[in-house]
Amino acid sequence: MIFNIQRFSTHDGDGIRTIIFYKGCPLRCQWCSNPESQSFGYSVMYDKKSCRGFGDCIKADNRAITRINNNGIQIDREIITGPEKLRDICASKALTISGESKSVDELLTEIEKDSPFYRNNGGVTLSGGEPLSQGEEFITLLQKLKGRNINVNMETSLHVNWKSVARCIGLVGTFLVDLKHIDQDKFKSFVQGDSELVLNNLIKLIDADAQVIVRIPVIPGFNHSEKEIKQMIEFVSSLKNVNEIHFLPYHTFGVEKYKSLGMDYTFGHKKQVQDSELEPYIQFAQSKGLQTKIGG
Amino acid sequence: MITEKKSTTVTERIWALREKVLSTKPSVCTERAKFYTQIYQENDDQPVIIKRALALEKTLNEMTVFIDDGELIVGNQSSQHRAAPIFPEYAVDWLPREMDELDKRPGDAFFITVEHKKELLEIAKWWKGKVLWDRGRAIMSQELRNLQDSAIIKATGNLTSGDAHIAVDFYKILSIGLGGYLQEIKQYHQQVKRFEQEGVKKDHFYTALTISIVAFQVFIRRYRTLALSLSKKEQDKQREKELLLIANHCEVIAEKPPQTFYQALQLTYFVQLVLQIESNGHSVSLGRMDQYLFPFYQNDKITGYISEDFTSELLENTWIKLLSINKIRPWSHTRFSAGGPLYQNVTIGGQTTDGLDAVNDLSFLILDSVGKMKLTQPNLSVRFHKKINNDFMLECTRIIEKGFGMPSFNNDEIVIPGLIKIGVEPEDAYSYSAIGCIEIAVPGKWGYRCTGMSFLNLMRVFLASLYDGLDKQSGIVFKKGTGNFAEFNSFEDVFKAWQHQIKYYTRKTVEIDTAVDTALEEIVPDILCSAFVDSCIPRGKTIKEGGSKYDFISGLQVGIANLGNSLAAIKKLVFEEEKITKEQLLIAIENNFEGEDGEKIRQLLLNFVPKYGNDDDYVDLLLRDAYMEFIDELEKYHTTRYNRGPIGCKYYAGTSSISANVPSGAVVPATPDGRKAFTPVAEGSSPSSGTDMLGPTAAFKSVSKLPTEKIMGGVLLNQKLSPATIQKDSDKQKLISIIRTFFEDLKGWHVQYNIVSKETLLAAKKNPEKYRDLIVRVAGYSAFFTTLAPDTQDDIISRTEHSLS
Ligand code: SF4
Repeated sequence: MIFNIQRFSTHDGDGIRTIIFYKGCPLRCQWCSNPESQSFGYSVMYDKKSCRGFGDCIKADNRAITRINNNGIQIDREIITGPEKLRDICASKALTISGESKSVDELLTEIEKDSPFYRNNGGVTLSGGEPLSQGEEFITLLQKLKGRNINVNMETSLHVNWKSVARCIGLVGTFLVDLKHIDQDKFKSFVQGDSELVLNNLIKLIDADAQVIVRIPVIPGFNHSEKEIKQMIEFVSSLKNVNEIHFLPYHTFGVEKYKSLGMDYTFGHKKQVQDSELEPYIQFAQSKGLQTKIGG
Repeated sequence: MITEKKSTTVTERIWALREKVLSTKPSVCTERAKFYTQIYQENDDQPVIIKRALALEKTLNEMTVFIDDGELIVGNQSSQHRAAPIFPEYAVDWLPREMDELDKRPGDAFFITVEHKKELLEIAKWWKGKVLWDRGRAIMSQELRNLQDSAIIKATGNLTSGDAHIAVDFYKILSIGLGGYLQEIKQYHQQVKRFEQEGVKKDHFYTALTISIVAFQVFIRRYRTLALSLSKKEQDKQREKELLLIANHCEVIAEKPPQTFYQALQLTYFVQLVLQIESNGHSVSLGRMDQYLFPFYQNDKITGYISEDFTSELLENTWIKLLSINKIRPWSHTRFSAGGPLYQNVTIGGQTTDGLDAVNDLSFLILDSVGKMKLTQPNLSVRFHKKINNDFMLECTRIIEKGFGMPSFNNDEIVIPGLIKIGVEPEDAYSYSAIGCIEIAVPGKWGYRCTGMSFLNLMRVFLASLYDGLDKQSGIVFKKGTGNFAEFNSFEDVFKAWQHQIKYYTRKTVEIDTAVDTALEEIVPDILCSAFVDSCIPRGKTIKEGGSKYDFISGLQVGIANLGNSLAAIKKLVFEEEKITKEQLLIAIENNFEGEDGEKIRQLLLNFVPKYGNDDDYVDLLLRDAYMEFIDELEKYHTTRYNRGPIGCKYYAGTSSISANVPSGAVVPATPDGRKAFTPVAEGSSPSSGTDMLGPTAAFKSVSKLPTEKIMGGVLLNQKLSPATIQKDSDKQKLISIIRTFFEDLKGWHVQYNIVSKETLLAAKKNPEKYRDLIVRVAGYSAFFTTLAPDTQDDIISRTEHSLS
């Protein structure tokens, strides 16, 4: 299942790219800026600002959805029956369903739309959520893309079993691997995952001669300190064949989305990380012989 | 306060000149009006062409001339910078009517003194009934007048001013000089057969040409005299030298071909200037300046006579001079070209006639000097082609980043084959340039108005097709329809109704154009402009009589995206999905989406229908088919020059509708695309504001599905990018890469960029004095944002801003 297709992306590899955002992620990063990407099923999103109080959603499911005033509703997401039937119910698109099943061919059609623009190594980027958590169809897509000679990049947390990674090697041009933290405890408490799994997969991936760029999200209160980031850079520079590292500064553009999903944004930090704060990291990485980029 | 910072490479004098012109309030100059009135009064018995030659002569001989401190390029259009001369022979009615409001206009205000008002009232009184407007209206049928008054077809601009939309033959002017023209005219004049009726006319034409060219020479020599006398009083030695040099240049170029780059540029500017004293048509364009001036530049460079810095200074001075030229329009037409621009286009880049990259050192200098001045003039166009120098493209994006909408790009890859296909000789096709905004013609060989004929309001036509031909705004049934929408059984019925109506309106645009052209030919023939266009002199004809080598024209169709989106909405929601009934839709648009369910229906129309600009064939192809109905019909007609000499004499479609989307929308009730009543319609061929949600590549794809090879009058695409989008060189390369795809693979026609943030625009709207020099791309051209009317400002603000994530 996917939740978005974004054309004309320029920040996730060479050239012009189309990003396919897959829905579903094994991790729960507290700062996640695409919270709708986390669950593997449909998500019901409600943007209060666009709501005109038409009430068609209530007619469709009056158990789960109730009116609270002229221009507002309340949703009990626990008891919604079949979110699919709510998909096109709201004229103003205040209530939307995130998540859409698309066949491999449908995806290919969308991807091909911008193919004239994929010159200079542009192509498609598979992102999420976690693309590697997708099923068999996903591999078919990769194979077909290879058959059509379309360059594929993949953004991944590598937080999946090795088998899921291994089957993609040879089908993906560049893996853009999220390296969030090396410390097991921090990883566990902030993203509810196992950093060993990520590190092991990363090493295996490199041993398999895959092309890898490491991306570090710089998150205040989590890893935004010289000691921690430098430790990660040291690690990256020790990997053979990885010569590029990207820093993705923490931002809060996704906060509104939490509201519309009925979720709380519990991550305390409200201030975005400025590019200038990354200066010492960049210098250090460069001194280690790594190419750097901010924001990919 | 001027927000623009002087670049360190701009000299103090140039910056001072720039500030001076920028801070001069536009005003009105009555000199020309007085001279023309006097000559017309005294020479009532003369043929009109002689009257006009004498009037031009008197003006050029007697109007105020001045040379500003520090100026290197001289020549003024009127008694002051930015003072618009009055051209009473085109239209005067509006003057007494609007005079008192001129300085209070919400946009494009003009300052006028009490004495000037009095003078103009007198002048207007004498001209009443004798002018172009009166004649044009008189020769139209009642039906055509009603159509015009209903604002479905607009030709006000065409009947209240001159034609222009032309570039003259600068190659020839620079190679034979004004003296050369006199000789050529004399030669043909001697051969005139005065025993034939045509000979009598030709005789007058050549006499008028001679009077005008001689007057032009006198005008140039007046600057010589002035420069000499100023030099005598000059204390500063350096400046004294400069003035003597100016005097010397004027002496040479009054008669002979220029010898140096400096002289060539000065003569080029003089020609540009005088054409805009003779007539007030706008879009008088300079053609391929980097080509015809290059041999002079190269020669001076090799001999060490000129430096790059000085060349740049001369060019910058020329751009400031172009800005000093002004035009006043009636308010009704001002709104169609907001920002008061003259669209004096300069085209650079492109190919040589053998298909090689024509970019040269001068192309870079022109590009950079325009970037340093950041003014609305000239309107800079770059001719793109496959083999274009990539460094040059990168430099273009650097200028684009400055955020004043220039340069815009035209695409050789579609324009040249398109021109050849309609009968233009390949060598000429390779020499085309942009005219005005984005439209194109072969300089010196093309007649007027490769675009800029009448404006057709497509959405009014579309609404009439839903009401059995009734135009609800005027209450008139111009063309009985095929029934009411309420009785239609299928989408095919809607489309048939559209076909039926658009055929009629297409023919009416041609009828109106024909009346307008007939009046222009009789009442206000241009003399100098004809002299400089091939083959008016050998044929002994003005351009309007069929003097030009080629003649292709186009009007402007406004509301392109709305048409596609409306068709898609009806097809999908009413007939396919039956989400809305016919009655519901009619009630909703008739009530401007107010009342019960109105807003909900509007939301459905906005959110559940594919929109043009998102690369969705559903709507893109519907639009193409609907537009083709217009184009197919249009191709049946000819211009008034048919069988009188020029190649072509045909129409093609055009969408470079300047800022007409705002006033055109102001006369259109709510439409089935969810657009509210009287708000702007979409601009040019761009997607409707705020509806292209998938970014620039998808918009490119949609636009390229239009029958672009048939829209030679211009396929205007305006894309807005936030400044951050192209900050880094790597981002600029990506922008170049999508432009390349758009042009090379998708055969796009044109694109231009607005790089400006929403915040800046909002701030500028609030505090205009702080942003006086903030320039935005309005449509096919750039304008000072603060001079625009609030509704145009809002329209610009609301256009989608593509940003990258
Ligand atoms: S890995 Fe990415 S998608 Fe998954 S929770 Fe973390 S930030 Fe969100």
